[in-house]
Amino acid sequence: MRALTGWFQLGLCAASLAAPAIAADGSTSLFIQGKRIILRPGEEIQDGAILVRDGRIAAVGRDLRQPEDAKRIEGAVVCAAYIDAWGALGLGQDSLRDPTTSAATRTVDGLDPWADEHLRRETLRAGVTVVRVQAGADARVGGIGALVRVAPDLPAGDAVVQPACSLSMSIGQAAPGEAEGRDPFERIADLDRVVSAVETGKNYLIARTEHRYELEEWEKKIAEKETELDKDAKKAKKDREKEQKEAEEKGKPFQEKKYKEDKRPQPPRYDEDSEILGRVADGAIPFFVQANRSSEIRGLLTGTAEHDRLRLVVVGGAEALACSRMLAERRIPVLLAPVPRGRLGSNEEETAPLSLAGDLARAGVPLLLGTGGEDAGASRDLPLVAALAIGNGLERSKAFEIVTLGAARAFDASDRLGSLEVGKAAEILVLEGDPLTAGAGVRYVVSAGRLVVEPGN
Amino acid sequence: MMITILALSAAASPLATHRAILAPESRLLAIRAEQVVLPDGGAPARGVILIEDGRIAAVGPDVEVPEGAILVEHRGTASAGLVALHSYSGSPSEMFDSTRSVLPEARVSLAFDPANPDFADALRAGITSIVLTPIPASLCGGTSALVKTSGGVVVRGEAQLSLGFSSLALRNNRFPTSFGGAVAELDRLFEEPEGVFARAAKREIPVLLEASSREDVARAIAFAQRHELTGAISGAAWAGELAEKIHSAELSVVCGPWRIGEERRDLLAVLALEKAGVPFGFAIDAPANHPLMLRAGAAMCLREGLGRATAWRALTSDAARIAGAEDRIGSLSKGLDADIVLWSGDPLDLGSTPQAVYVDGKLAWKDKP
Repeated sequence: MRALTGWFQLGLCAASLAAPAIAADGSTSLFIQGKRIILRPGEEIQDGAILVRDGRIAAVGRDLRQPEDAKRIEGAVVCAAYIDAWGALGLGQDSLRDPTTSAATRTVDGLDPWADEHLRRETLRAGVTVVRVQAGADARVGGIGALVRVAPDLPAGDAVVQPACSLSMSIGQAAPGEAEGRDPFERIADLDRVVSAVETGKNYLIARTEHRYELEEWEKKIAEKETELDKDAKKAKKDREKEQKEAEEKGKPFQEKKYKEDKRPQPPRYDEDSEILGRVADGAIPFFVQANRSSEIRGLLTGTAEHDRLRLVVVGGAEALACSRMLAERRIPVLLAPVPRGRLGSNEEETAPLSLAGDLARAGVPLLLGTGGEDAGASRDLPLVAALAIGNGLERSKAFEIVTLGAARAFDASDRLGSLEVGKAAEILVLEGDPLTAGAGVRYVVSAGRLVVEPGN
Repeated sequence: MMITILALSAAASPLATHRAILAPESRLLAIRAEQVVLPDGGAPARGVILIEDGRIAAVGPDVEVPEGAILVEHRGTASAGLVALHSYSGSPSEMFDSTRSVLPEARVSLAFDPANPDFADALRAGITSIVLTPIPASLCGGTSALVKTSGGVVVRGEAQLSLGFSSLALRNNRFPTSFGGAVAELDRLFEEPEGVFARAAKREIPVLLEASSREDVARAIAFAQRHELTGAISGAAWAGELAEKIHSAELSVVCGPWRIGEERRDLLAVLALEKAGVPFGFAIDAPANHPLMLRAGAAMCLREGLGRATAWRALTSDAARIAGAEDRIGSLSKGLDADIVLWSGDPLDLGSTPQAVYVDGKLAWKDKP
């Protein structure tokens, strides 16, 4: 009987080896075969395969063998999944439209991982697996944006890719209820506010660094004094006793000798907004500033020119072409949402021409593409928005790079996202045709190692 | 003028896709393209379109280019111009009367501004014909107009009779004030019809039934059947659920307008119409929306599973039929207006773009070389 149970158990083991294994966290071992595998923009292999294990890409190549426990899927074209650099998925209207956000407001705190489930499914089906979301769309300071996965029901560690991927501010953004943008004086004040925010951050950083040095100095001095006193402890005791005796003899009260020590240096007053602005000034968090008019973009560029660690991104940039040389020289990206808008009620200076993406790319300005950060359902249409940009002059290969590796780099996530390389997270599309074309036909989508879209679901 | 433009473009850039052979006295224009989208629905193949006096004289893979004809070589795809079915281009605030709800004699064709930049936007998006509709804020907003996007040409001065079935047509300070009252008033107008109502009752002019909710659509279908009208329902999101009923009433549908982030339900409605065999076309509602959203909407429907051939017909020949002008526009067929778009690639791919647009055989717009 005992032997029988043993055999039975062995049989179970064998069965579980042969069937595709789904790990406890939901990730699957996958063997993805493609006629064409786009490893990274501009680099591809023919008739290859990708092995996905534990949520990561375990192997890529032409001579891979399918492990028995891996589920096999295949298609004409395999490439990295798309990233929407400016979306609103999972963010309620109250967080999205919150006018009271400040630099330290974290978008992740307002995210609802269960919200918009049907939109999440649609977005995945379109091949978009990661979105940058940003609260405070109507505020002058929108707070800290987050890079999150679209797939629902992910464990917290997988749901959020980068909890602090941008700090957002805006120039000339109309307040809620205002039909028009701000008047010129308010706009100038907005620009000043943006530039001085960086100054504030830098000064806070300087003050904190100075405090750290002063504190070190002070601690050193105190330590020196202590050793000195320790050394002369016996003599000091004798002197004290002598003085005490003398005082008694003379009938005077004994006065203890006091050592005056330097005052401990005080740190700068803790301020959560300045903490974040300091990290922005230091380049640890990219600085996304919404600016459309050329005068304001120029003011922003000149106003922040001396902060060489700052990582500025111009958002909107309707008239960015007028500043393209400065933008290209300083490698400052422009984040566009090239959604075609009608003429009715649109402000000439804040409506980007459809050819802007192509024109900026040709001028050597780095680009990011997004869907505008206001409509949770729009992230689904990122591939169409990118295709429209292609139709209006952006090179197809460039557009593909922008929505994959380019976006990953901009948000410091290129070690995990944006291309199909061993060790990176498995964010993979299996398509019927070339990415961003009408014939792309998304068949399978893998996100965080999970098969989130299959034909027919 | 056209010849000069072509000659200049050929001289200006060695990469120019258009090559002109000068023949100033010729009235014949020939376009030879790598791919020509023919009305038979087959795969586009290399072919020639011959144009004489603004009309298509011949089209096909075996058409010879006659001697003396101006020849345009195109390295992409040539197709018929797109047809948008519902728009306020150049006439955004027209066709509304705050005191009267029935304006049968109002015509958009007399009220639009052909020089409005809305038309240039549409032309650049590959749209060569637009149906300009009265705003749906009246019980009867008058008649829509089918116009070309270049030259202010009116193809059908009274394209459709617009009838309002949505709450937009009701005002609490203007008769009628209720849905019941509205239907009763419309029924009365068709009881012993006069003027344009008589022509609609005799099916000489199609009706455009403006709806926005499921109930509106149901009322519109019942009304059209009661009076044996022909025409189209505008309000696709809700029309999908009633696709079978629309089909049995032999009506068509105007879907859209579309926006980025469009609700999937609206897109699935289009698939339901295809399944039920209901002909449909798309709205753009410019200037509130950009004309590029016409093709973008078709691309969204394609992504959701709409057939390529159906999508293409919705953008061209089916739309032309709904506008009552299939004998003038909507396909590259002999005798039709020479409204032709030269695309950089597949017109259903948003990555393709018009490089030149011909309206009535004349070059109306051309991309910079």
